[in-house]
Amino acid sequence: MDIVVSVKTNLDLQMIRIKNREPVLEAIPYKTGDLDKNAVEAALQLRDAVGESKVIVLTVAESNRKVRETIKEVLAMGADEAVLIVDPALESTDQAGVARTLAAALQKIGSYDLVLFGEGSSDDYSGQVGPRVAELLGVPQIGYARQITAGGAGVLVERSMDEYIETLEAPLPAVLTVVSEINEPRIPSLMNIMKAGKKPTEEWSLADLGLDPAAVASSCETLSNLAEEQDRKHIMLEGGAAEQAAGLVNALLKEGIVGR
Amino acid sequence: MEKVDCIIVGGGLAGLSAAYGLASEGLEVMVVERGDYSGAKNVTGGRLYLSPIRDIYPELWESAPFERPVTRELVTLMGDGASTTIELASDRFATAPHQSYTVLRARLDQWLADQVMEKGGMVITKNRVDEILMEGDKVIGIRAGGDDIGADVTIIAEGVLGLLSSKVGLREQPTARDHALGYKEILELPSSVIQDRWHLNEGEGAAHLFMGEVTKGMMGGGFLYTNKDSISLGIVVGMEAMRERTEKVESHTLLDAFKELPHIRPLVEGGTLVEYSAHAIPEGGIAKVPKLFGDGYLMVGDAAGLALNALLTVRGMDFAIASGFYAARAVADAKNRGDCSAAGLAQYEQSLRSSFVLKDLETAKEIPHIMENPRLFTHYPQAVSGLLEKLYTIGPHPSQKLSSTVIGGVRKDFMNARTLKELLAMRKI
Amino acid sequence: MADILVYSEKQDAALELAFKGKELGAALGMGLSAAAFGPSAADSAGALGAHGVDRVFVSEDPALEGLGVDVVAEALAQVACEAGATMVLIASTRRGKELAPRLAQKLGAGCVTDVSSLVLTDGSVVASRYAFGGNTVARENLTTESKVFAVMPKTFEIAAPVAGAGAVVQAALSLQPSAAKVVSRRPKDGDAVNLDAAERIVGVGRGFAKRDDLGLGEELAAALGAELACTKGLSDFGWLGEDRIVGLSGAKTKPDFYLAVGVSGQIQHTVGISSAKLIAAINTDKDAPIFQLADYGIVGNLYEVLPALVEKLKAL
Ligand SMILES: Cc1cc2nc3c(=O)[nH]c(=O)nc-3n(C[C@H](O)[C@H](O)[C@H](O)COP(=O)(O)OP(=O)(O)OC[C@H]3O[C@@H](n4cnc5c(N)ncnc54)[C@H](O)[C@@H]3O)c2cc1C
Ligand SMILES: Cc1cc2nc3c(=O)[nH]c(=O)nc-3n(C[C@H](O)[C@H](O)[C@H](O)COP(=O)(O)OP(=O)(O)OC[C@H]3O[C@@H](n4cnc5c(N)ncnc54)[C@H](O)[C@@H]3O)c2cc1C
Ligand SMILES: Nc1ncnc2c1ncn2[C@@H]1O[C@H](COP(=O)(O)O)[C@@H](O)[C@H]1O
Repeated sequence: MDIVVSVKTNLDLQMIRIKNREPVLEAIPYKTGDLDKNAVEAALQLRDAVGESKVIVLTVAESNRKVRETIKEVLAMGADEAVLIVDPALESTDQAGVARTLAAALQKIGSYDLVLFGEGSSDDYSGQVGPRVAELLGVPQIGYARQITAGGAGVLVERSMDEYIETLEAPLPAVLTVVSEINEPRIPSLMNIMKAGKKPTEEWSLADLGLDPAAVASSCETLSNLAEEQDRKHIMLEGGAAEQAAGLVNALLKEGIVGR
Repeated sequence: MEKVDCIIVGGGLAGLSAAYGLASEGLEVMVVERGDYSGAKNVTGGRLYLSPIRDIYPELWESAPFERPVTRELVTLMGDGASTTIELASDRFATAPHQSYTVLRARLDQWLADQVMEKGGMVITKNRVDEILMEGDKVIGIRAGGDDIGADVTIIAEGVLGLLSSKVGLREQPTARDHALGYKEILELPSSVIQDRWHLNEGEGAAHLFMGEVTKGMMGGGFLYTNKDSISLGIVVGMEAMRERTEKVESHTLLDAFKELPHIRPLVEGGTLVEYSAHAIPEGGIAKVPKLFGDGYLMVGDAAGLALNALLTVRGMDFAIASGFYAARAVADAKNRGDCSAAGLAQYEQSLRSSFVLKDLETAKEIPHIMENPRLFTHYPQAVSGLLEKLYTIGPHPSQKLSSTVIGGVRKDFMNARTLKELLAMRKI
Repeated sequence: MADILVYSEKQDAALELAFKGKELGAALGMGLSAAAFGPSAADSAGALGAHGVDRVFVSEDPALEGLGVDVVAEALAQVACEAGATMVLIASTRRGKELAPRLAQKLGAGCVTDVSSLVLTDGSVVASRYAFGGNTVARENLTTESKVFAVMPKTFEIAAPVAGAGAVVQAALSLQPSAAKVVSRRPKDGDAVNLDAAERIVGVGRGFAKRDDLGLGEELAAALGAELACTKGLSDFGWLGEDRIVGLSGAKTKPDFYLAVGVSGQIQHTVGISSAKLIAAINTDKDAPIFQLADYGIVGNLYEVLPALVEKLKAL
């Protein structure tokens, strides 16, 4: 079974500071998408369960510097090959553009039985890319997978919806998106990280996929992107547990939260 | 045990510099850094002396993320209620090539890690080395995250306290006497405000050092460096001085007190605190430099005590980068010759001896001694400022003759046996 | 004139969208259509009509059974075409969120999901959504002719029904059954809880070492008259149901008081509490980001602080 996992590199969100409501993005390190790591883990487990399978990780970015760490990490986890689509024109793309690029790359890769995505990326969390790719490829899609089993000619997927758990069966090829409870992604060993650099890695540009920059131009214009205003008191309650507890209860009395 | 050519313990400037050199030579290098990224946990005051290392990796410095070249040097001697500031304005500092730049480690180290990767080296972050593996006197690799990994050479770049290397006897356990402790904050200010407050042209920077009251008379001093749009502000205090001090001074409160001083407050006003850190600095001088190499290993940077705290200048980053460079050369040669024993790596120490690294440390040999004299941090700043204060004071009573004020002051504070002895001793530095 | 089309598999959510759709339609001079699928389509049509929808396109095509996302997307694309709709509003439930982009791809439309507000600005509909994991709110303007917005449920009110139903149109759809077959469906465990409406919330995180220790949190919640909520980290362990998650992928709460216990304060969680009037936090780590958002902070061990708090609250 050929499993392709689509992996996004995003800024380490925990490192973003807000200054005058604007996010300060300079010098923020990059990080592999959290749910994308779940998707890679799911792919590796499937590969090992099914046998005779291969896991290819696929990523789209405007520069290879950005994705170097990410790809290293997922290859070190155990993915077999990587395909990087790197093109400066992708700097200003949107989810539709990323999806179009991924679909073209999947077509060029040729053989894929399963294409796995995160349910949402750690930064945008739009959940658009997977479904858009499914539509472009004309294949079935099952979102929010929390368990994937290969069987017969297809996959059996248990997925987590708002109010219920649903089990679906789909023929291959299919697009799946995963939720975080599906697994605990493995942490690669140092030696595997060293070896990751030697795994087969292809790098393609948009031209290699027959796409021109206009095909990935964004149709989403961001008018502003500001943090919500927060005005907090930042009072630290000192002392031992009993004192702190008393301090909080007093504060809550004063604020009218308790004792009304 | 799986094996690589070279493992580097610690991805600070020393480790990364070694990695860059080795990767450039096409060797297989694995840098293991416990921080989330290189630079995440690294602390420096803020000024890199580039002059000594400009010819080391000359291709790198063009694109390095420096903050500002230091064109304005200030030092303040702080007495009790009076202080004297001396400013050095030198045309030479103001024109390129600049001798020193302010830097932020979060940026500089990350950038250097990128350069290492560009050359094919592997910088593995978020991983801690748990142990240095020995076979007799020979270092054979590391243990990390439950895995043992072997290497022909292990470069120890773990930074100041050298916990891993002292555990296996490659250096002494750290002692308070040989270390100072630095507390530092980075405060953000708009670059136009920085230029106004420190009287700088765009693209110029200031370095301002403080001695005396700032450390409550303990061995050490304060520093303030201007970055592009932030300032680095901190205090360095000798650990031993801190321990010996009878009345309990919580050292971290020194920094708050520093910021509250009447002539500092207006400088830092409105700054947003974006980073706070505390970190040790090697201060033992050359006497405390451990054996720099042995079978299968080399020590670089702070881990090897290669730093120089000479009152008005703290240097460690240039030493770290240079020692990493020479280490890489030695390892590359040793690998070529197929001899990674102590003998095969001996060239490392020779290069350090013939470079500024050990020469400057040798020259500064007496500094740790001299600095142990608390009067340097109490008596002198007070005496200078006290004297000047007298000169500037016009009181209700008839003034003394200028000359007698000066002579009286100098005689009282400087012309005594003790001071003369101390001044004589200072010639050694 | 073009139409706005609204759809959700959840009737309440569809009615909310109808309310907003009506308002936007009036301002932009667009009509309002809705789609309703499946066996209860006729009922929904009535409700939608009574809430201001001009035309409700209904279909009970058997291919729509199970609401396979591929089929629903195709059905909506066909309805949009029939209705002449250029703007589609969908509720950003899990189903809606996977449907919206697939539909958008079919329509060649730009799409914004998890929309938290839709505002008419200079003649365009500007959608807000959380960006950078919740650090910021981005205001987006789609430049495509067709637009799809997936709006978070409970963003708009539901208008009071008015007399006079809209037209019910039997949609002429040509659909293939979904490629994915539903094998089974079972309700999620856990009691239902409505965090959106809670006035006080105790939010618990991975600072709790064992599932059994959550009793401490429950006791505190009881003493405060608060609902118990949790981080995703904790729900992933299966210790509490997903409907108790607060944050980007859970509830966006607006309580008077939120008390975070053993919660680090990662942005994906805090985005769900930032509208709380008052926030307090208990965490052993003085550098935990949660303190940046707290009005009152306690650096301490929850195992010591919680019993003390419960005692003090009970003594009131
Ligand atoms: C307050 C202060 C002010 C200073 N001012 C200046 C100045 O103005 N100019 C100047 O040149 N120098 C200054 N120095 C000195 C200078 O910062 C140091 O000499 C320099 O950082 C040394 O670099 P290094 O790479 O040897 O060590 P470090 O930068 O400390 O790097 C060591 C690295 O090893 C990692 N590490 C440690 N243990 C492990 C482990 N077990 N596993 C994995 N990784 C590990 C650490 O995370 C760290 O990244 C100052 C120092 C301080 C503290
Ligand atoms: C796309 C995406 C969407 C997400 N959506 C959500 C969401 O909607 N909601 C959500 O919550 N998360 C969400 N997450 C996950 C989120 O990023 C964090 O992983 C999660 O919020 C962390 O949960 P936590 O604070 O319980 O755990 P941790 O981050 O592990 O924090 C535990 C805290 O407990 C403290 N602690 C430990 N022991 C004690 C003690 N004895 N007493 C007091 N304190 C103690 C620790 O200091 C620490 O700060 C999402 C992630 C992604 C990628
Ligand atoms: N630039 C990208 N490269 C590769 N995969 C991506 C990219 N952007 C998004 N994805 C995938 O699409 C999923 C959903 O992303 P999003 O639509 O941004 O929420 C992610 O979890 C990834 O699996």
